[in-house]
Amino acid sequence: MSYQATNPLSNEFELELSRPLTAYWLPTLRVVVGWWFFHAGITKLIENGLSFTGGPAYLKGMTGTALGPIPVWMGNNLAWLIEPGVPLGETLIGLGLMVGALVRLAAFFGAVFMTLFWVGNAGFGNGIVTGDFLGLLLFVTMIVLATGRYFGLDALIERTEFVRNRPRLKYLLG
Amino acid sequence: MEYNTIDRVLLGASSGLVLFSVVVLGVLEILAGKPYSPVEITNEAGEVVATPAIDPTIRTGLVLLGLAVLLVWFGYRALVPADAGTSESIHSREQTAD
Repeated sequence: MSYQATNPLSNEFELELSRPLTAYWLPTLRVVVGWWFFHAGITKLIENGLSFTGGPAYLKGMTGTALGPIPVWMGNNLAWLIEPGVPLGETLIGLGLMVGALVRLAAFFGAVFMTLFWVGNAGFGNGIVTGDFLGLLLFVTMIVLATGRYFGLDALIERTEFVRNRPRLKYLLG
Repeated sequence: MEYNTIDRVLLGASSGLVLFSVVVLGVLEILAGKPYSPVEITNEAGEVVATPAIDPTIRTGLVLLGLAVLLVWFGYRALVPADAGTSESIHSREQTAD
């Protein structure tokens, strides 16, 4: 039996990525995170259609943040994109995660959303590690662990001839 | 280590309870109409004009039950040696020349 300094639990609960426990937990987490965004997006679509005016207004209020003038500029100049983009983006990100398709791409955009929420909400009364920040880290975790390969469509998509001939697509899948 | 039936049932139940509460009941809640989130809607006078289709106590309870099942599984695995109770273990079989 080899000693693994990098995974001291591997001989107890088999937490290695190739082990069954991970295959239960990671897709569960991925679907819950997906539902989180899908719910946020689909309810905006139901109530406001593609005219989510709260998006540009939120960005315009993001003054004096670590992102500098970028959010305010976006709010002032990209309203035409943000109003439909927020509800559509949240819905598609959520769908992608729930079915496990294009998970890394979807999670990247999810991380972009959460970065704006974390910095913009600035609810740092209990420290800098907020719920928004943990949401951001969840999306990063989806990317790092390629969770779409666990009971997700990406596991099938990555086996297609098209992807096998274009291995760089795995940076968007997985 | 291959998982036996107990492992699969407990882990499947844990994931199933969490996903049922969050996703399945969430879909039903949206389909049932406003409110789309599990909070009451009140008017300006503070009167409740719409209540959630599914009591959030039930949904949170199901999630907690799912996590409790996962905890039970951890306890089971802690008490039962990894290779016990399964005949299909593939755990580090030593290969020798003879």
